[in-house]
Amino acid sequence: MILQLVAAIFGTIAFSILFGVASRYYLYCGLIGGAGWGVFMIASERLGPGGAAMMATMVVMFLSRLAAVYKRCPVTIFLIAGIFPLVPGAGIYWTAYYIVMDQLRLAAEMGYMAVKVAVAIVLGIVFIYELPQGLFIRLAGQSIKENKTGG
Amino acid sequence: MENGEEKELEQPIDDGEVMALALEAGRILLENGAEIFRVEETMHRICQYYGVKSANQFVLSNGIFVTAGDRKEQVYAKVQHIPVSDSYLERVAAVNQLSRRIVEGKYTVSEAMAELEKIKLMPEKTKYLQIMASAVGCGAFCYLFGGDIMDCMAAFISGIFLYLYVLFIKAPYMSKIVGNVGGGALVTITCHILYICGLGHHFNFIIIGSVMPLVPGVAFTNAIRDIADGDYISGSVRMLDALLIFFCIAIGVGMGLTILNAVTGGASL
Repeated sequence: MILQLVAAIFGTIAFSILFGVASRYYLYCGLIGGAGWGVFMIASERLGPGGAAMMATMVVMFLSRLAAVYKRCPVTIFLIAGIFPLVPGAGIYWTAYYIVMDQLRLAAEMGYMAVKVAVAIVLGIVFIYELPQGLFIRLAGQSIKENKTGG
Repeated sequence: MENGEEKELEQPIDDGEVMALALEAGRILLENGAEIFRVEETMHRICQYYGVKSANQFVLSNGIFVTAGDRKEQVYAKVQHIPVSDSYLERVAAVNQLSRRIVEGKYTVSEAMAELEKIKLMPEKTKYLQIMASAVGCGAFCYLFGGDIMDCMAAFISGIFLYLYVLFIKAPYMSKIVGNVGGGALVTITCHILYICGLGHHFNFIIIGSVMPLVPGVAFTNAIRDIADGDYISGSVRMLDALLIFFCIAIGVGMGLTILNAVTGGASL
């Protein structure tokens, strides 16, 4: 469990390097990615991959917006790296694998699961996206006047 | 011309220069993976601050259209085509920072333009760092998706090979489709060779970890953001881009597996 979190943190930081994030944001990206993966692991026992991906995305998006307001920079920087562990890369692989192995029923199942996770990520982002910016400014302990342009 | 914001500007500002500044800022943002909404907002903010009230901008995922001009202000119109390229988020953050400082009244138009030039020349991460990041990322994700420590080592090595391919073969010479199919196949075959050599225990998890650097995270996330903002055209174009890449990776992996199947007679899969 703890090793998994460490792997998620380092994995997220590695990919934020590939996406060209400035080095002063690495730590935040890593922690957000780790938090997302932690929620995913805990939630997937009860909710299955779809619901867990949605919960995890909501947490990632929430923390990303908070970090964006706190550090005064675009939310994209944290969001893209933080969401990366949840993107169904494994689903794609298994789908291709079962198609090649001529196990079409399993391939369809895996492909369907990948689409389900992708839709869950979409919903997670959209729901948190609707929360008012003022909430995040207040949570980050800044006054609304001086922070006109977050997000 | 009116500029009634916080600071009196000493000399009159040329509207054309303001528009060129806004367009350049928009171009850098769009090229480096910002959402449509952010591009439009930044351009609008710059135009408004420097007093070009009639400015209008229309941004798509691969083009910016700006016009200005009414009875009081000079006419300006430009269309800028922006080919899809690799994103570099540090530049997005830098332009965002610059636009905030412009609104705080810290720059004249020509100073802001000079700052944009600096942002354009911002050095990218070194190739060595990118390759190491890819290797570490592959190893970490291999572990996340169920591999053990030996599998991570294998994914680490195949991540190095994959990114060498991405940097020196795919990016300069190949189209998106061929590049990603080739990447998927390369990963599959590299992982299999490592597996035969005795490194790693779970062939599948090694491939899953190693394929991650090809996955279009930026396009996918931005597509969702754009659609959530109501920028459906750009959002669907970016989503199509992401789905195409996903699909190409899957085909590449499938091709690699088929080749291995044929060579080894299906024994090792």
